[in-house]
Amino acid sequence: MDPLFTWTDFFVLKPAILLSLFGCGILLTDFLLKQGRWNALTALVGEGFVAVALWQHCEDVAANGQRFALGGSMAVDGFSVFFNYIFVVSAILAIIIASRYMDDEKSNRGEFYGLMLFAQAGMTVMAQGYELVTLFIGLELMALSFYVMVGFLRNELRSNEAAMKYLILGALSSGFLAYGFSIFYGISGSTNLAAIADAVAGREISDPVLLIALVTTSVGLFFKISVVPFHMWAPDAYEGAPTPITAYVSVASKAASFAMMMRIFLVPLVSVQELWMPLFGAVALLTMTLGNIAALTQNNLKRLLAYSSISHAGYILLGLAAGNETGLKGISLYILVYIFMNFGVFALISAMRREGHAAEDIDDLNGLMHRHPGYAILMLVLLLSLAGIPPMAGFYGKYFIFLGLLEAGSYLLAIAGALYVAVSAYYYFRIVRAMFLSESLEPAVIAPGLGTKIALVASAVFTLLIGLYPEPFINMATDSILLALR
Amino acid sequence: MQLDSILFYLFAVQILFSALMTITRRNVVYSAVWLISTLVGVAGIYLLQGAEFLAGVQIILYIGGITVLFLFVIMLVPVSEESKQRRFSSQLWIVLIVAVLLTGELGYFLWQGADSFQMGEPTPPAEIGTVTTNSEQIGQVLFSEYLLPFELASILLLVAMIGAVVMAKARPGAE
Amino acid sequence: MKEHILSIVWLTPLVGMFILLLLPKENKQLIRIVANLAAFAGFLVSLPLVFWFDNSIADYQFVERVSWIPALGVEYYLGIDGISLLLIMLTTVVGFLSILSSWTAIEERVKEYYAFFLFLQAGMLGVFMALDLFLFYVFWEIMLVPMYFIIGIWGHARRLYAAIKFFLYTLAGSVLMLLAMLALYFKHAEQFGVYTFAIEDLMRTQVPLDMQIWLFWGFFIAFAIKVPMFPLHTWLPDAHTEAPTAGSVILAGVLLKMGLYGLVRFSIPLLPEAASDATTVQIIAVLSIIAIVYGALVSLMQKNWKKLIAYSSVSHLGFCTLGIIALNPNGIAGGILQGLNHGLSTPLLFLVIGIVYEQRHALEIADYGGLANRMPIYTTIFLISILASMGMPGLNGFIGEFTILRGAFERDVTWAAFAVLGIVLGAAYLLWLFQRTMLGPMTNPKNEILRDLNLREICVMAPLVLWCFWIGLYPKQHFAVLEKPVARIVERVDPEYYSRNGIPNPLTDGVRVASLVQD
Repeated sequence: MDPLFTWTDFFVLKPAILLSLFGCGILLTDFLLKQGRWNALTALVGEGFVAVALWQHCEDVAANGQRFALGGSMAVDGFSVFFNYIFVVSAILAIIIASRYMDDEKSNRGEFYGLMLFAQAGMTVMAQGYELVTLFIGLELMALSFYVMVGFLRNELRSNEAAMKYLILGALSSGFLAYGFSIFYGISGSTNLAAIADAVAGREISDPVLLIALVTTSVGLFFKISVVPFHMWAPDAYEGAPTPITAYVSVASKAASFAMMMRIFLVPLVSVQELWMPLFGAVALLTMTLGNIAALTQNNLKRLLAYSSISHAGYILLGLAAGNETGLKGISLYILVYIFMNFGVFALISAMRREGHAAEDIDDLNGLMHRHPGYAILMLVLLLSLAGIPPMAGFYGKYFIFLGLLEAGSYLLAIAGALYVAVSAYYYFRIVRAMFLSESLEPAVIAPGLGTKIALVASAVFTLLIGLYPEPFINMATDSILLALR
Repeated sequence: MQLDSILFYLFAVQILFSALMTITRRNVVYSAVWLISTLVGVAGIYLLQGAEFLAGVQIILYIGGITVLFLFVIMLVPVSEESKQRRFSSQLWIVLIVAVLLTGELGYFLWQGADSFQMGEPTPPAEIGTVTTNSEQIGQVLFSEYLLPFELASILLLVAMIGAVVMAKARPGAE
Repeated sequence: MKEHILSIVWLTPLVGMFILLLLPKENKQLIRIVANLAAFAGFLVSLPLVFWFDNSIADYQFVERVSWIPALGVEYYLGIDGISLLLIMLTTVVGFLSILSSWTAIEERVKEYYAFFLFLQAGMLGVFMALDLFLFYVFWEIMLVPMYFIIGIWGHARRLYAAIKFFLYTLAGSVLMLLAMLALYFKHAEQFGVYTFAIEDLMRTQVPLDMQIWLFWGFFIAFAIKVPMFPLHTWLPDAHTEAPTAGSVILAGVLLKMGLYGLVRFSIPLLPEAASDATTVQIIAVLSIIAIVYGALVSLMQKNWKKLIAYSSVSHLGFCTLGIIALNPNGIAGGILQGLNHGLSTPLLFLVIGIVYEQRHALEIADYGGLANRMPIYTTIFLISILASMGMPGLNGFIGEFTILRGAFERDVTWAAFAVLGIVLGAAYLLWLFQRTMLGPMTNPKNEILRDLNLREICVMAPLVLWCFWIGLYPKQHFAVLEKPVARIVERVDPEYYSRNGIPNPLTDGVRVASLVQD
């Protein structure tokens, strides 16, 4: 009998194992040492180890191509490496922002960082999983950790409410997903994606069973990426959550869900592309419409960014709706640049204080240019990037998505997407207006800790750097999808 | 064969009816008891499918563990206030319409697709061939093919536990 | 030096901006000096272009071509022809003069002001040099940002509204242009297997007519908003009225020319069949004529001095687009030259307003009257700019309008008839404005405080006045510069034009120094 667990298995699983180990480690050291300030550092060391493991993955992919382990339930390929790196970067940014923020909120506890790493372990499994049960458990692991983290500010009613909403709707969406997965298992007799692909390819495209499975799976995933009409939890959860977690949810959890979505729709369901492409197109269009229009009137920055992140999800989904290589490249690149621009903005928000409390309204940024011109200019770079103005990084994500749509002949979607860029510019420029054009009577204090400063500067620098010299990043995005396509 | 179908429909009716009662009762204790009835019905269907292990787990865990825990919690929390409040807001009608539409849609597709429900046969790992009972099969599969999800589930449970502790621990400011 | 001159030209203001950022913001005087020096340096480094430029070469000159994003086929590809040369010189001159004119007008947030202005200058220069569509798009978009701030921070009462309106209008147009660009780029890659944005490569793409028409309108909307053409002009009166003086100057002088430039550099040569399609030509011509007449009529009604000039811009740029869409050498050359003329005379008009606004803080025409008595030099310059603007022979406007009329006449007599009506109306509102503000007795006692121009203000206006006379009295060099690039555009849309009309083709028949205007 073969050994159940080989070195290859270990190698493939290494990031997830490391993350779980460090997660447990933080829980233990926090309990034994009672030295709160070491927790963030331990988490960062853990991320360092994971990054090294990923580098080994990267080398391995370059040498051996796609590799499977544990009976084909986990894969290592360019796709998984790319997304794992995205999780690492966003986790690092979230951790360094969080250490100061959670101190200020008097909720800096070891569990918080432990949960961050557990959530990331779940994401890793989502990006590497090649089998439905594994993917599902990975998703649940991530989601469960997030429910707790969103509600971590126990003294804030908003935070509790957000966690509650997120939990209930999340559980509902998992139900949909499980239903879809069970039908896939039913029609193929296996949970392995490759086996399902064969079973799906053998069926007719008009098969009603297939359609049910496809729709329920999509609904489950639509919840996770918060696209219309399954977006209702996002604004509340984003507003109520501790700001670093808002950033982490909006970037990493979304990226992981997109990774899982791409795996499922591009491996088993690629043969029925005609079935889901119009669905995704319609959902993306609705999402951009609602996200952009709802964002226009928001006064709370976190809520505004929640709606903006909904509309960004719409753009990313357009990449799948295009369904060609350019569109997929666009998804990878879009998510990559989205980490930096979104984290940068949230880093600044997390540092905003008014009379000792977190200040989160647009008006609280009034006159930022007078008091902190440096931060104002960094913010300007990030907001221009979010709006998709060249030569900022955000432009290239949209560039590929639009090009993909044009290649696929979806002209109307491309035009709608392009015009919504102008709509989105309006609300991003409301923030710009507050920072540069408005005078403030009672200025909010911007008091970033060292970590937040680093996160803000690094995000803005990367946003500008990717914008001015995107070549290596485009190549990374290209490599990421080479093996994801079958 | 005939008996199988009769039993199936009996259980199905029990599940649906109990589920309906669970969500419409004003008194939470009643709801919990109806939930038990629902879960028993599900266990019955598992048994009909020859999955005696799952049926057992269903009864021991869900009924014996979780629902009884529910009842304990309900007893500890004063429920008289909540049970008097209006249960559904004005959105009830929208909810009903959407629910009916969704059911109709699903039903239609299932009806249309009745012929294409030729499900694939599960492909068990080679070593399972010699094992016959359901519990043993599950054990085998769980520790070979699904070893990874099984292990991951332990972390999932750990996270759930942490979550419970974090949520239940005294509020930092309110000591 | 010579091979990198274009980079030097557009980077000089940017370097100036970075130096400016290092200065302490309290020392306003130092900031002003540095900013003016940077802008003047920007003008000086652009001067060699004039001397090194060779009229006899039809191709792009001073070309710089480096790969920028190989994965997308994007290049850092700069080069200029006669059209770009004129507009670049206009930009460096008007840009410098508007910075010089802000010396006393801007008192708050001085450092930011000059930094944004220099940044804007770099962006505009880049637009006129880029021969790679992607690079062009980057410059085109990024230059919106400083303009937004210039209007939004230093503008008048309704500045916030005007700034965001300007920004969103232009952005909405340019994203459509982006789509058209991408479609063309993809089409080219399909046919040649190479991804590139270089315009001469994209020109080789075979695009079916119906697709060409779609793409043409995609480009056209972006450029028409910038020009601005009726009915997409509504942002312009707001932006012009609310912007600070120097902002209006640069907006009227240079930014609007970017729309014209886009038409002749991209829309028409890239999509010649769509551009010469009878329906397209008719639509654009009708829109231009509406703009000419409507702009003039609205100007007649205006009570606000700045708004009047803003609407007169709509009217004048209607002439330019009318000339360009006539698609013959006279029309296109006239359209571009008239664009240049508008870039000289309208900034003058705005500068003139700025001088009294700075002292009186009033923009209503009714607030003024009889200024001629107190301010003779001022009145003279105002008169010159009005005459230049309305097309008085001997000044630049006449040359431009006359050439456009010849082009329009050649194409369609009715066009020319409407254009003449526009000229008449133009004379009416401009002279009436002059009469209401300058002539008659001084009725408003508040105007007693007004003083005449000082040396700096004369220095700001004199170069523009001289350039107006130069074109008006001896336009030959300008036409010579324009001849070959215009001929190339005509070749694209109507290859048989020259042989059919028996006119020697400047591209093949050797150097022929143009004298389009028979004097």
